[in-house]
Amino acid sequence: MTCTLGEVKQRADFIVYWGGNPAECHPRHFTKYTIMQKSKFLPRGRKDRTMVMVDIRETKSAKAANIFLQVKPGKDFELITILRALIKDQQVGDEQIAETGLTREALDDLVQRMKSCKFGCFFFGMGLSMTRGKHMNSAALLTLAAEMNAFTKFVAMPMRGHGNVTGADVIMRWQTGYPFGITFNRGYPRYNPGEFSTVDVLVRGDCDAAFIIGADPGATMPQPAINHLKRIPTICLDPHVTHTSKLARVHITTAAQGISAPGTAYRMDEIPMPLKPALKSPYPTDEEVVRRINEAIAQKPFWLPEGSQPQMISTQV
Amino acid sequence: MLRITGGKIYDPANGIDGQVKDLCVDDTGTIVSSVDGGRTIDASGMIIFPGGVDVHTHVAGGAINFARAMTPEDHRRTQAFIRTQSRRSGLGGMAPTTFATGYLYAGMGFTTVNEAAVPVLSARHTHEELADIPIVDKATLTLMANNEIMLDQMEAGEYERAKNVVAWYIWAAKSYGVKAVNPGGVAAWKWGSDAKQLTDPIDGYNSLTPGKIVTMLATICDDLGLPHPMHLHCNNLGAPGNISTTIDTLKHLEGHRAHIAHSQYHAYGGDDWDTMCSATVQLAEYFNTHPNITTDAGAVLFGDTVTITADGPWQHLLYKLTGRKWGNLDVENETGCGIVPYTYRPSNLVNAVQWASGLELMLLIRNPWQVFLSTDHPNGGCFWRYPEIIQLLMCADFRSECIKTLPDRIKSKITLPEIDREYTLYEVATSMSAGPARALGLTRKGNLGIGCDADIVIYEEEDDVARMFSHPRYVIKGGEVVIEDGDIRETPEGREFLVKPSCAPETDEFMRPLFEDCYTMSFENYPVEFERIENPNMQECVNASEK
Repeated sequence: MTCTLGEVKQRADFIVYWGGNPAECHPRHFTKYTIMQKSKFLPRGRKDRTMVMVDIRETKSAKAANIFLQVKPGKDFELITILRALIKDQQVGDEQIAETGLTREALDDLVQRMKSCKFGCFFFGMGLSMTRGKHMNSAALLTLAAEMNAFTKFVAMPMRGHGNVTGADVIMRWQTGYPFGITFNRGYPRYNPGEFSTVDVLVRGDCDAAFIIGADPGATMPQPAINHLKRIPTICLDPHVTHTSKLARVHITTAAQGISAPGTAYRMDEIPMPLKPALKSPYPTDEEVVRRINEAIAQKPFWLPEGSQPQMISTQV
Repeated sequence: MLRITGGKIYDPANGIDGQVKDLCVDDTGTIVSSVDGGRTIDASGMIIFPGGVDVHTHVAGGAINFARAMTPEDHRRTQAFIRTQSRRSGLGGMAPTTFATGYLYAGMGFTTVNEAAVPVLSARHTHEELADIPIVDKATLTLMANNEIMLDQMEAGEYERAKNVVAWYIWAAKSYGVKAVNPGGVAAWKWGSDAKQLTDPIDGYNSLTPGKIVTMLATICDDLGLPHPMHLHCNNLGAPGNISTTIDTLKHLEGHRAHIAHSQYHAYGGDDWDTMCSATVQLAEYFNTHPNITTDAGAVLFGDTVTITADGPWQHLLYKLTGRKWGNLDVENETGCGIVPYTYRPSNLVNAVQWASGLELMLLIRNPWQVFLSTDHPNGGCFWRYPEIIQLLMCADFRSECIKTLPDRIKSKITLPEIDREYTLYEVATSMSAGPARALGLTRKGNLGIGCDADIVIYEEEDDVARMFSHPRYVIKGGEVVIEDGDIRETPEGREFLVKPSCAPETDEFMRPLFEDCYTMSFENYPVEFERIENPNMQECVNASEK
């Protein structure tokens, strides 16, 4: 249950940030979309909104919050589960609450505020989705938001990473049905994060070439993955020389998206924004480079002889 | 150039019912009276239909893409298209991927589809997705009935302003017409409530009621001269006893053109889930006496699917009923959307009533020019299962066999067992092609007359109707043979139909401050650039008074 950022701007009188630090990681987020905005329904802006911050440490974002709840590291899932019980008036033991590092008073107050708001919103960051429990934490928070709709309007939204990660995710979904972690090695898309994700394929040494656009795995991935990138022909498209370009066989400098190359970027709420370049670049765009590579490949014989495999299978195995 | 000889032609737009005639196609993909040279297809003993037209489907955009993300378990088991030199890979199933959507529609003889629900804010996304759906031609409808800027004008009684706002949005979205979903109800859902009574003011408004929105929006569509009238998803979808709301809505449409979407979901009697029954007799009677209104069935087929609709409050209810996954996506100022995977089971009385109601509507509404084949894909079933519905419509015996598998208690709730009507091929061609094309105002579609688009389907006549309609022998799109002997031969790009209704020039300046107040993107970036539409095809607006 999510919504576009404009809904939060217009309506959300109760906003919870969980495991994220928008003040430093999404510096325009507060002012453009959430707590600082005035709207038809919340004419006094910040004064009409309550902000809660749930995190393991007091970051800069916590200073902007009305209420800061410091949860013990790795106890997010427990805390969410307790909240799911408390909203339904189920019994929760003192020990269980103590384990999360918070007090019963603080949680009762939070639940009371969640239920009495008109439009509540959870924003969650990597502090929730990438720590112990990972996607189970995100799922639990989404469930809590869904269940809150029995009492009032409630939504939840992930704080996505920088660049156009959402766009990649959206397009992979319409073309293949899956957002990431996809293999085409049988001629059609299959999905298994943990097996077909880039890092896993590289660590296992399963691929014999790599084509990297606008990312820098050479700086962020584990050493075994980087080692494999060094072994195989790696092609890198980037406006800058990155760690990856240094280990790549080929680096092609391209125009920077949004600065000197046009296109579309998807905002974290999946709204597409047109990019209008402000400057000209002597370099080609990513799109042009990929198109020309595709054209060159199309000149070569097809990878399989005609008729050597079925065109369609009715059920996958 | 192409000549098709010896086939039995079913072309309801020209009153041709099974006569043997030759068809000629020129190099521009248009049907002409004669050609010299080129390929000849011998269609002796075969049946020729105009290409199918889907008046109401959800194949591209934020909502179906959300549904794809929510159903990886279905992608994992469904049919897969393997990449070939001329074809991209993809997956079928409940929410097919874009390339597969084009192949599946064409593979079934459909050449035009209408994506029935596009929020303007994400229209850019929808158009990008549509560009990735090959072969078929496409149109989109803009979601309007819960647009707060428009509602505020209606509340203030500013009809002209409201009309200009609608025209402005249609062109901003580069769409083909107006879709109204649960008028007022989705706006109310933004505060967690709904709008069920046509005459009660909507949450957050003083005097504006769903009924007023329905009438005003239908008038606006007529006054703007849109080729397709207002496409309406009525209030109170899916609820037992909602027939009264539906009839009430239809009464608000007296004197206007309108298309009622998936009317199966709006034709229930009873007071609660236990007493719910089919009320299609009453609804069909209304259609039979009001030729100004068309509808599509929104038929239900048993099996797994995923439901997606802009009707947010209904989806929350469905989530509470089923306890399955629930996705909800509210779009600022404009609309909402909900997604819940669902399985229709014959053993479930409610589902059985829904299954029967869809068929009853198609059989009880006498004029096939008024009721069209649809499942509201993917809500009632996936579009690639249409041939199963055609079989149910054409074979009364098969229908009775199916009814026997339903629980006994169903008998008192439905009228289907008493209906012995069987669709003829001529009626099928009307309901799946000529009728929807006319309702959409696409004069070159669903028509095999001279000067029309050469979208032609050729079936090998056989007794197994479902098989026949799911495996056409040839499908010709714009004069190109795209399917032949069960293989996809060509995958041309489809066109997109657009309209540009006239709009007062000062609307931009009127919209700007209102826009900046409630949206989170800049005004200049909001309208979809015309250059972004691949293969646009402009259609004319004709003012009702000039007709």
